[in-house]
Amino acid sequence: MNKSHKIALISLLSLSNVSMVLPAAADPARDAILATLAEEAKKADPAFGGFSAERGQAFFAAKHTGGKPDTPSCTSCHSQDPTAAGETRAGKRIEPLAVSKNPSRFTKVDEVNKWFGRNCNSVLGRECTAVEKGDFIIYLSGK
Amino acid sequence: MVNWSVSDAHSSLQMVRVWDLPTRLFHWLLVLSVFTALLTGFLAPEWWLGLHLTAGYAIVLLLVFRFVWGIFGTEYARLSNMANATRGIWNYVRGLALLRPPHYFGHNPAGVFMIFGFLAVFVVLVVTGLMIEGGEEKQGPLAGVTTYALGHRAKEVHEVLALLVLLMIGIHIAGVSVESWLQGVNLVRGMIDGLMPRPWGYHIPTPRRARPLAAGSVILVLAIATGGALYALSTLPPLGIPPMAENATYRAECGACHWSFHPSLLPRSSWEQLLAKLDEHFGEDASLPADKKNEIARYLAAYSGESWDTEAANRFRLVSASDPMQITKTSYWVAKHRQIDPKLFQSAAVKSSSNCTACHKDADTGRFDDQRIEVPKASGP
Repeated sequence: MNKSHKIALISLLSLSNVSMVLPAAADPARDAILATLAEEAKKADPAFGGFSAERGQAFFAAKHTGGKPDTPSCTSCHSQDPTAAGETRAGKRIEPLAVSKNPSRFTKVDEVNKWFGRNCNSVLGRECTAVEKGDFIIYLSGK
Repeated sequence: MVNWSVSDAHSSLQMVRVWDLPTRLFHWLLVLSVFTALLTGFLAPEWWLGLHLTAGYAIVLLLVFRFVWGIFGTEYARLSNMANATRGIWNYVRGLALLRPPHYFGHNPAGVFMIFGFLAVFVVLVVTGLMIEGGEEKQGPLAGVTTYALGHRAKEVHEVLALLVLLMIGIHIAGVSVESWLQGVNLVRGMIDGLMPRPWGYHIPTPRRARPLAAGSVILVLAIATGGALYALSTLPPLGIPPMAENATYRAECGACHWSFHPSLLPRSSWEQLLAKLDEHFGEDASLPADKKNEIARYLAAYSGESWDTEAANRFRLVSASDPMQITKTSYWVAKHRQIDPKLFQSAAVKSSSNCTACHKDADTGRFDDQRIEVPKASGP
């Protein structure tokens, strides 16, 4: 890789960071996850114009249908306030989703995939779209 | 043993020491221990087992003492004296039927039969008690050599005999009351001060004296021998409690949402069914990647209920036909928690009936010792 290539790559990376809503605690692993989701979103819809914290907040608080009856919403277990700890239906503490309270949130691909996989099915009865996931992460990164 | 008429029994009668101090102490300590054992056995909640066991071990010690003292004690404490007294039983029964029972200095034959009956029943009770403690609870000296099945069978005997003891105590008290009334002598007081009236003109044959030194030596030898044997037995690892390494994947994955149940709490088939349907896991999707699921499946299969001989494993192996994956649907679980206020399970301290560790402080070991139950106070939800 020559020097001009390097500069081009760095500027591209910094550009991609700026183009997103500024996360409270930027983390390269989380950014990579978001980048992958953005790529997926663009593939599904070429008109995709970036993730939105407002959409993420609405998605988080909404009562969904189509999922399992005991878990109609993210807030069923994660509580209304994402900076607070939640509780599973069996009574186990769930660490806050808000990145400001829990900086390791959304930094491990396997964990992110596992929990979106399970919980989207439990709450919505389907897989979440890349846009929904990205919005969700962006919202909670700023929380 | 001698007869005299009731009219003779007056203040002019000389009071003679019949029951020696060790025998009297034995009697009242036995009353206290048996009362404690009956109360804790029949009425107290599970977590009083410790006191029940203490009472039981006290009865063991008292019985050992009594048998030795029955050989080396004073005349009326001796088993041979009591055995002799039994010969008068037909005479006594005939007299009782005519409401003119013969009077006795020392033991009356019916009383001796009751004493022998009590001693025999108590021996079987403490033996079966130790078997239950070892087999069902996996505690005490027999834990290493008694299966749950044997302990459970011993429990049936133990329970029937405990009821029999209640009946015998009733008969004993009634007998003492009737006899006190018919003879005009307070027999209860006699067991406190040890005195009985000597009938007029009755010459007491020279009674055998106690041999406390011999008694003490025999008790010492017995204590060392049985104590040593019991200690050696108690060092054996409990039967059916295999050493189990912690599985970090199981702890982390299953423990993320709920208490990571001890693998012994369900049989293998239930764990298999449960893992096969993780996407429909008690109302939620709990899917796992194949590698983690397989690791957990291997762990649970290796340490499922079949590999354990604890009370919990034996009981929860009998799963509910309609809900074979739910421990709380087994008839045993339901019966054992019937006394618990349902609100407690929703309280902040417990949160869910699946949270065994909230009350069973040793649930992570799969033992569920009765003494380790600590039911929290139900505070707000």
